[in-house]
Amino acid sequence: MRAFRAGFALELWIIRSNPDALMPLFTAPLFAIIFMAIVRQSGRPDLESDALMAPVLMTLLWVALQHAGTLMVGDRWQALLEPIIASPTSLASVLLGRIMSLMCFGLLSFFEVWAVGKLVFGVSIPFEHPVELFLTLVCTALAMAGLAVTFSALLVMTRNAYTFTNSTSFPLYLLGGVFVPVAILPDWIQPVSSILFVSWSSDLLRASVNEAPVESFWPRLGMVLLLGTASFAIGRVVLHYVLRRMRASGELAAA
Amino acid sequence: MSAVATTLNVMQHAFRAGIADYRAIFTWKSWLAGWYVRVLAQVAFFALIGERLGDDEKTYYLLVGNSLLIAAQVGVFSLNMTSAERWAGTLPLLVASPSSPVVVFSARGAYLAIDGSLSALGALFIAGPLFGMDLPWPRVLAVVPLTLLVGLASYGFGTFLAGIVFRYRSINSLVVVTTYVSLMAACGVNVPLSYYPEPLELLARFLPLTNGLLAIRGVFAGLPAVEIVGNAALELAVGFGWMTAALMSFNRLASRGRRDGSLDFGA
Amino acid sequence: MEAVEVEEITRVFEPRRRSGTRVVALDEVSLTVPTGEIHGLLGPNGAGKTTLVKILSTVLLPTSGKARVLGHDVVDETEAVRPLIGIVFGGERGLYWRLSGRQNLEYWGALYKLSSREAKERAQQLLERVGMADKADERVEEYSRGMKQRLHLARGLMGDGKVLFLDEPTTGMDPLAAREFRALIGELRDEGRTILLATHDMVEAEMVCDRVTLIDRGKVIATESPRTLGQVLSRFQRIDVEGVPLVVLDEIRAIRGVASVTAVDGVGTRIEVDEEGATQLVLERLVSAGATSVRTSLPSLEEVYVQLIGERGMEI
Repeated sequence: MRAFRAGFALELWIIRSNPDALMPLFTAPLFAIIFMAIVRQSGRPDLESDALMAPVLMTLLWVALQHAGTLMVGDRWQALLEPIIASPTSLASVLLGRIMSLMCFGLLSFFEVWAVGKLVFGVSIPFEHPVELFLTLVCTALAMAGLAVTFSALLVMTRNAYTFTNSTSFPLYLLGGVFVPVAILPDWIQPVSSILFVSWSSDLLRASVNEAPVESFWPRLGMVLLLGTASFAIGRVVLHYVLRRMRASGELAAA
Repeated sequence: MSAVATTLNVMQHAFRAGIADYRAIFTWKSWLAGWYVRVLAQVAFFALIGERLGDDEKTYYLLVGNSLLIAAQVGVFSLNMTSAERWAGTLPLLVASPSSPVVVFSARGAYLAIDGSLSALGALFIAGPLFGMDLPWPRVLAVVPLTLLVGLASYGFGTFLAGIVFRYRSINSLVVVTTYVSLMAACGVNVPLSYYPEPLELLARFLPLTNGLLAIRGVFAGLPAVEIVGNAALELAVGFGWMTAALMSFNRLASRGRRDGSLDFGA
Repeated sequence: MEAVEVEEITRVFEPRRRSGTRVVALDEVSLTVPTGEIHGLLGPNGAGKTTLVKILSTVLLPTSGKARVLGHDVVDETEAVRPLIGIVFGGERGLYWRLSGRQNLEYWGALYKLSSREAKERAQQLLERVGMADKADERVEEYSRGMKQRLHLARGLMGDGKVLFLDEPTTGMDPLAAREFRALIGELRDEGRTILLATHDMVEAEMVCDRVTLIDRGKVIATESPRTLGQVLSRFQRIDVEGVPLVVLDEIRAIRGVASVTAVDGVGTRIEVDEEGATQLVLERLVSAGATSVRTSLPSLEEVYVQLIGERGMEI
């Protein structure tokens, strides 16, 4: 727990002193404006709250990939991985602390799009199902953390981690159905999407901000958590394996 | 050698250096599997919004706009290059050399304009038919040079920004991403310019992409050539303007750097 | 109990690419460091010092052989070893440079299982101890190289380790800072800590160590007292001089203890001396001959090795 807290605090310090880390908070309002403009111009007020939710999911995914997913690569390049491994603390706990810190930060985008909707377009997010909305956001952030652990572990060995994360953003937005529900995608993509928790999260998030009652909320939320946990478990295994391999090959230090 | 020949020679070498850098990042396979897949996904992401709106015209509108955005987006990546140059500590060496850094940079990153244009065209000509869009042959060929024009104009804009944020390396990627998403919001990519308040519409005309995109939409809509050429000329003027501004900002940067020592070696 | 026991450790780096070469970084290295000793690991770059330090600090596995820190195996008993050790790497990396020095230390304190209060207190103490208290709240990126080195040392001490591994800790420090640093190493020993100091600096090894193990190309050459090392260093000298008449050089060649007089491109003439006292005679003769450009320097590590090995009749 101490290691988790240390990781959490460390990442807050880093975010505070690194303006680049604030990027998603700049792009979230811009994407909100873009999506709102599209649905407004097409005269579809029914899609307005969907248009506001999409940037929130994009921000969380972006943070999970670009920031959380590359934490370990960054540490390795800065020659920090070895001293961390040599300390009596488990790397996974520190890592999870840092990732959760980033996720909390990413959730700020929700308040941003809320403000954009209100100030620029004069619409409010309809808080029809506040409990469902809150739980969906929290569980989504948790599942994102699980995804980030997997990415972190997979990317630590690669040379072009940033090129990879850059290439993954929009494919994931698409497969995760962050704006356009997966149901509209071609049939052959659907199985891929449905094992991605993001698609469950985005459907649930949209349902939570629309007037109609949220159907089978708990099982769907359970799916988000289940897939997130699975991703976390995979990440832990990969991390364990990768670290062992690196310790044997001497690749903990970047050449 | 004459001044022109010297400059051309410098540019040729700088261009090769740029290509070499690029090939260190991408191979053909990783370009296709990594970057190009992302490009297609980005364009499809927006085209699908049109599908969700149930409006084919809107789908094509979004598809064309977001394909062309790719050319502008990659052009803006020139910001990264300058920062990388600073990181490698080669910039003071460039300033100290008898060639102008702007000449070097403009050639060095020219591959970005080419890469961006190819990506954009690749998106348009692959995603377009997939979404059932008509590509009116042969006039659609006019899109090729127009796309290149957008790539170059955006590259000039990116180089200008590089000069501005040069001293603040820590905000480099923040500026890159915020810039291209802003272009996505402002330049008539997703909604017509007329949707915005008038001052914003006017401002957009001074940004790269806006006029070039209008020209390309004109090609698809079958507008008279004179209108298309008019918009293309505006895009050219905008690109030229930003490149000139880049030149000035770099000269200022070099002279200020010499004064206050911000052109540090290997920092 | 011995603080560090190394038994026939071998470490081979297999090539990562087909064109790469197989590197034997350590070749059956054995070594013992008793508790409370400052033990030098002296060798040129690429000798295998860092590889050994990495193995001992649990971040690298040996190919074969055994190593124990305070009785715990570094391969299997990592959980027991890690709380007992502190690591200081040289160089500028290994710190979060967007954070202040104090934040760095507090973070590492948490990783060494200190409560926030303990971590704060220990960080403050260490910052004072390494003379960084007034810069503690500036970002590491603003620090000079020497300051980063001192912060590295403080970082290595956050866990209060009983055994400290220092890998080229004074690289890039100015001479004054390096001297203070060495004094600090003495203090740490007086507190009962064991220190393994990897360095390529013969003078440093001679000054601070209780014993010195010489290592080259992955093999231990000898373990010596620093006194032996000092004697070798004072005996062997190298004198470079320019513009001396040949007659004088012939005279110098005849002085007892002058091993060689050779012309070296770009230097002029190099005179090598291998007996104590001979240097003084050579210098006197050169000065009286009116030579003004005279420079003396220590022999290289390799030359010392050759000398030590030659005296013992050993083979590499």
